[in-house]
Amino acid sequence: MSDGSPVRRTLGGLTARLVALVLAAFVIVGPLLSLLLWSLAERWTYPAGWPQRLGLRYWSRMLTGDFLDPLKMSLLIAVIVTVAALACAVPLGYALARLSFPGRTLVLLAFLLPQAFPQLPVFAAATREFYRWGLAGTVSGVVLVHLVGGLVFAVWTMTAVFRSIDSSLEEAAYNLGASTTRAFLTVSLPLAVPGLVASALLVFLYSLDEFTGTLLVGAPFVTTLPVYMYTASQGYEMQIASVTALVLMAPGAALLLLLERFLRAEYLTFFGQI
Amino acid sequence: MGISVVASLSRDGQWTLANYWTVWRLYARDVLYTVGVAAAGSALTLVLAIPLCGWLRVRAFGPVEFLLKVPLFVPFVVVGHALRVFWSPYLPGFATSWLGIAVALAWKHFGLAALLMLGAFRGVDESFLEAARQLGSGTGRVTRDILVPMAVPALAVSAVLIFSSMLASFSIPLMLGRGGGAQMLMIDVYYRFGQHGDFETASALGVISYLLAMGAALVYVRRLTR
Repeated sequence: MSDGSPVRRTLGGLTARLVALVLAAFVIVGPLLSLLLWSLAERWTYPAGWPQRLGLRYWSRMLTGDFLDPLKMSLLIAVIVTVAALACAVPLGYALARLSFPGRTLVLLAFLLPQAFPQLPVFAAATREFYRWGLAGTVSGVVLVHLVGGLVFAVWTMTAVFRSIDSSLEEAAYNLGASTTRAFLTVSLPLAVPGLVASALLVFLYSLDEFTGTLLVGAPFVTTLPVYMYTASQGYEMQIASVTALVLMAPGAALLLLLERFLRAEYLTFFGQI
Repeated sequence: MGISVVASLSRDGQWTLANYWTVWRLYARDVLYTVGVAAAGSALTLVLAIPLCGWLRVRAFGPVEFLLKVPLFVPFVVVGHALRVFWSPYLPGFATSWLGIAVALAWKHFGLAALLMLGAFRGVDESFLEAARQLGSGTGRVTRDILVPMAVPALAVSAVLIFSSMLASFSIPLMLGRGGGAQMLMIDVYYRFGQHGDFETASALGVISYLLAMGAALVYVRRLTR
């Protein structure tokens, strides 16, 4: 190909692009579109390659019916987790980025380690302990479990955010007579707001999509959207599960479209772990 | 994690290896199966991602790059369900086969792999690519002879990350549905704990999964320090 004429090379390049685009679209968008199709299928029995009857019946049933309780539960848990995680992560991230104290690396490692190891056995252990304290099957128990994972995301992103703020700005504030607290509140914190928003969205999304911990700790009383979806798919109610899946995907998709240009690569790698 | 280690070594208040004996008797096949599926899934991810990212590094093409990021934003549970319903009308039984699980895991991890790899490939200086092109190398050769050798550390990190994440995968195989035969390790942990209430054996399975993840990390550290 390298010794072809320029015209042939452009043509070859165009074809390669087209093929790559079509393949990527089929492989990546295909399964997501089939979710949409299933959510609209009122009747689809096995040998047929296309639903026998299409309609909005399941959507309307879902949006009025028992789908609203898990939705509310999910949102409630996600909001509490986000607020609590950031309340801890802002001071902790600031300390990790600015101050050097004994055990700093240890703290950073402690927040990295959970990501590297299988989580399910840890959740199982937590569930058993929670039974002892009466937290299993309660909203507080689920919030606690989400908080552990949420803190990992929040502390890492907030540390990165505070590290990217020039410390000479704070030093200027100190020189003008501001206290540490005042310099933090009036200089660093306002500068950190965009990063803080990104971090909050990340934690919110994590909590919304968290499944494994909720299934173990929350069972059988706390039903969030992912758990609801799992239960529906176990009962072969593919349409209900598909509608839930689409609703679950919506915040992530909105974020991808809106924030594609604002998000930094290090946040994106965090998304891969949800 | 400490709790799992202690529980895996005890039963009825006594220290014993009986739980590991149970694991060996019932789950030895599943351990191998899990490692196999994770290895197949990682290999599939790398084999597809390396040429594609090499191509994208040489000729930037926004739309494909955007599509590659999509799996990052799709939650694990949704991936499992989406692929199940995507395949079920046309390839019945595929979703619960080992290949189906490996493909589904590869689908989800492709976004992360592409992100890490493109980052590594973009770190390779343009002048090397320019020189290779002057000498008449096409995209394939540039990827094979320049990009991959220069990005080996980053590729190794991605491979280990992806492999251990696949070992620990739970939601995707769970949502794909339960077939006959061998199961993924995390599914075993879940049923052992959730349905049999046997926390001790579940913990022994969990400790084995920790060791596997640690083994993958060690291989990586050793390669890096050599």
